[in-house]
Amino acid sequence: MPTVIFQSPDGTERKVTAESGTVLMQAAVANGVAGIVAECGGNASCATCHVYVDPRHTDLVGPPNDVEDEMLDFTAAERRPTSRLSCQIQLSDALDGLVVHVPEGQV
Amino acid sequence: MSALTTAAPGAPVVDLDLDELRRDPYPAYARLRRTAPLAWVPSVGRHLLTRYDDIVHAEKLAEVFSSREEGSLLLRTVGKNMLREDDPDHRRLRGGAEPPTRPRQVRDLWAGTFESTAHRLLDRIAARGEADLIADFAEPLAAANLACVLGLRNATADDIAGWSRAMMAGNSNYADDPDIWLRAARATRAIEEAVAEIAETVRREPDGSVISSMVHAPEPVALSEIQNNVKVIIGGGVNEPRDVFGVGAWALLRHPGVLNRVIDEPTLWKRVFEETARWVSPIGMYPRQLTRDYEIAGVKLPAGSRVALVIASGNRDESVFERAAEFDIDRPHRPHLAFGGGPHFCMGAWVARHEVSALAWPLVFNRLKALRLTDDPADHLDGWVFRGLTSLHVTWQAA
Repeated sequence: MPTVIFQSPDGTERKVTAESGTVLMQAAVANGVAGIVAECGGNASCATCHVYVDPRHTDLVGPPNDVEDEMLDFTAAERRPTSRLSCQIQLSDALDGLVVHVPEGQV
Repeated sequence: MSALTTAAPGAPVVDLDLDELRRDPYPAYARLRRTAPLAWVPSVGRHLLTRYDDIVHAEKLAEVFSSREEGSLLLRTVGKNMLREDDPDHRRLRGGAEPPTRPRQVRDLWAGTFESTAHRLLDRIAARGEADLIADFAEPLAAANLACVLGLRNATADDIAGWSRAMMAGNSNYADDPDIWLRAARATRAIEEAVAEIAETVRREPDGSVISSMVHAPEPVALSEIQNNVKVIIGGGVNEPRDVFGVGAWALLRHPGVLNRVIDEPTLWKRVFEETARWVSPIGMYPRQLTRDYEIAGVKLPAGSRVALVIASGNRDESVFERAAEFDIDRPHRPHLAFGGGPHFCMGAWVARHEVSALAWPLVFNRLKALRLTDDPADHLDGWVFRGLTSLHVTWQAA
């Protein structure tokens, strides 16, 4: 069971443990992590579960898929090279200790 | 599980007059949120769920709050379709239909046609100096854009708008009027023919449209499924952008200070769009049916219970949106519920955002100078399941 850390824009951290095979967005929503809205419930159609992957972990997490890449052009907060949709990041033990940064806004 | 058409034991029963709801549902919603956030309403034949948090909770729990509502008028009007399906069937159909409605596709494939259609409609009325912006502009624009995205090159904007009206009347034919059923059946037959013809063409020559995308979907979609889903998209796809356009234009004409700011700072059109959709949501509610016993808003609902998620009420919930009855583009950004949530999140959201906030409003307010209301549009606000202005009469300085 990997543990991931959500860092909010004001610097506060939320540590969340989730099952391997689930997606990062679910871990956030199930634990009430502020700032992850996920209107569409994980279908990559709303662009409201945007996160910035910590630069130390971008290689581990990998790049966005095609559908996600398109949606990332339409996030409320600016897109950066580290931007991902958390509904498209599948958790595994390899991602234990992952740090992601929650953007200023999702809508 | 068959649908329960009576109140759940212990659910408060609240009588609401449907005509009053159509005129203005918001006072009733405010009462329900305060006193009975889940209430059985006999005239609707469903439990109304009216608080923001409860609605969000239900939307994200699709395995309990099923979209397969038995006896729904929508099913009777158009047949089986993705709006009344759960995953995995819903996902297969939506996956086939959705790609052309994604934001980059909208920008790259459709935006140019949307823009020339909007200009053509404005050219027709510009010299007149007066118009009903719903009938003369917003409705034909929404209908033509829909024909474009769907790939229905064999249908006119008038066809699409007429079919949409006939089906919407069917969807709300609680009085079981046989004439309404007849007109709806005529519309759905016409759509089936038009879709069959286009499906044949795009099978050979894909064109990036919704029909083409469904024909070539990785998970096969039958022709009858394409036909039924096109019916649903036409049913909702005209009135929703039309109604956001109308209500937002009215709000700006009532708040000239806001209008001037938005014209100076066009990035604000997005805020106008989201706030309009929150303030008067074009879709006010949609139905769900419980797959198992579940407690929500303090009431234990048995499996089979029918629940209406009243998103128009959630969008006026004062615990989330301060001064919720006011149109205020500067309010703190909180996600509204107008597009629904969960797997059924509005497929047309990106199309509507573009056609209304990037195109229709800026063009109208830039091209029609000194735009003024000629009567009080509040008199033309109508509906609760769907709500919008039936007309928006304006004058302007003709060149």
